Amino acid sequence: MTQIYPIGGGKGGVGKSFITVNLGALLAKWGKKVVLIDLDLGGSNLHTLLGINHQKGGINRFLNKTVKNLENTAVSTLIQNLSFIGSSLCSMEVANLLHAHKLKIINAIQKLSFDYILLDLGTGTNFNTLDFFLTSNQGIFICTPEPTAIENSFRFIKAVYLRKLKQIVKRHSFNSAVKKAIIPPNPEAMTSPDIIEIMLKHDPDREKFLRNSLSEFKFKFILNQFRKNLDLTMGDKIEDLCNRHFYSNFQFLGNVGYDVRIHDSVLSKEIFIHRYPYTPPAMDMKKIAEKIINNRPWNH
Amino acid sequence: MKNLDELTYYEILKIPINSSSFEIKRAYKDALSTYNENSLVTYSLFSNEERDKILKTIKEAFLTLIDENKRTAYDSILVDSGQIKVSIASIENQEKPPRAHTYNMTDNDDSAERVKKKLRKKELETLCNEIFSNGLISGDDLKKMRKTAGIELSEINVVTKISVSVLKSMEENRIESLPPGLYLKNFLRLYAETLQIDPQKVIDGYLKHISSAQKK
Repeated sequence: MTQIYPIGGGKGGVGKSFITVNLGALLAKWGKKVVLIDLDLGGSNLHTLLGINHQKGGINRFLNKTVKNLENTAVSTLIQNLSFIGSSLCSMEVANLLHAHKLKIINAIQKLSFDYILLDLGTGTNFNTLDFFLTSNQGIFICTPEPTAIENSFRFIKAVYLRKLKQIVKRHSFNSAVKKAIIPPNPEAMTSPDIIEIMLKHDPDREKFLRNSLSEFKFKFILNQFRKNLDLTMGDKIEDLCNRHFYSNFQFLGNVGYDVRIHDSVLSKEIFIHRYPYTPPAMDMKKIAEKIINNRPWNH
Repeated sequence: MKNLDELTYYEILKIPINSSSFEIKRAYKDALSTYNENSLVTYSLFSNEERDKILKTIKEAFLTLIDENKRTAYDSILVDSGQIKVSIASIENQEKPPRAHTYNMTDNDDSAERVKKKLRKKELETLCNEIFSNGLISGDDLKKMRKTAGIELSEINVVTKISVSVLKSMEENRIESLPPGLYLKNFLRLYAETLQIDPQKVIDGYLKHISSAQKK
């Protein structure tokens, strides 16, 4: 069964692309068929981390219909079983993706036949990023143990949440008052509690359905650039806290240690776990990859 | 976002219903460390009103469970509403865990806040600058600063858990009854932090004063 993992997280520079590449490489080493897709449209650089210099095109060829099947735009990498679909050759205006194109990409991704599909997403909480994150019923967000990153992560979770909530209301039958609440332009910005409140008022029977639909989504997260002197229970605390205060399911995958050699691997354009396989961050990511492999969807 | 309204006090503090007062205190401390305004893990997760409400609920849970009478009353409400089973509650009532050492723990939280509020005096700053400029800080200086801050020894005791007799020894320069070096440093730090004055300067100044007094 194909597993799609969008990898996001509100803040820039927390290591989304770095973790995507290394996790992908680790999963491939376990003999899984893996594809990495660079969906940081307008900010692509997954190819650089992978050390791919000459690209023949990626998503752009799929969008301009030179290639009919997204799968055919995937290129092999230095690592066996690890394929890559880039977006660096897309137009300079690709960051403002047409809605139809976005749906086309999402549909195509859901049809790819790989064991693991990792989507590297961009910074921030624009609709493209949120919708790509909701391609699957699970996603990984990367955070670092700093107030700035934590702030952006919570914002990202809340934004994903609101988007998901609206998606559910849009796709299923609800009372007209609830439906109206999600149609733009709203007089005031609607928050998730607002929508839930409207629903409790006008459509109380559907509350359980909504809760269940929200709880189907599984957030997983990684704390990156984790330094030695920090509170090791931080990840567990965040997991506990989020499970307590959100309706969705949260799982902490682990810390990835801070290491100056990560910078060296980026400079040399070599995959970190290849260049430094026995360093703490590599071991940390190995554990996380094992956790992902053992994470059967029916185990929840 | 879910708040804590649907949870029982035990669930709020994440403890089993037969917890001892020691466990309750520890759980309360943990909860405060997660939800306080300087906590990294909840940074920006809640609005100020949401956070205040959560902290109020946690405090209410703690004050109810730590008080034997209130806890019994609360347990019987839970039993009546079917949220806990009678058998477990009655076992809990028969076998009370020994009470942990406590000095008016229920008021502890308020005292910390009260002490904080009493501060913010300009005088203290001027006095401190004067004392710090000497380099040496004697026990009398400590006492002067504390008095200017308007803090009682017993209040420092409540906040820092340092016993009043040790605090007195510090203020009265009774070198022979002072704790060994590392402890003393720590006590001085806590003392200074309670008065919200520079701990390093207090530690350095006081230790210098002691060593010069010993030489004489």
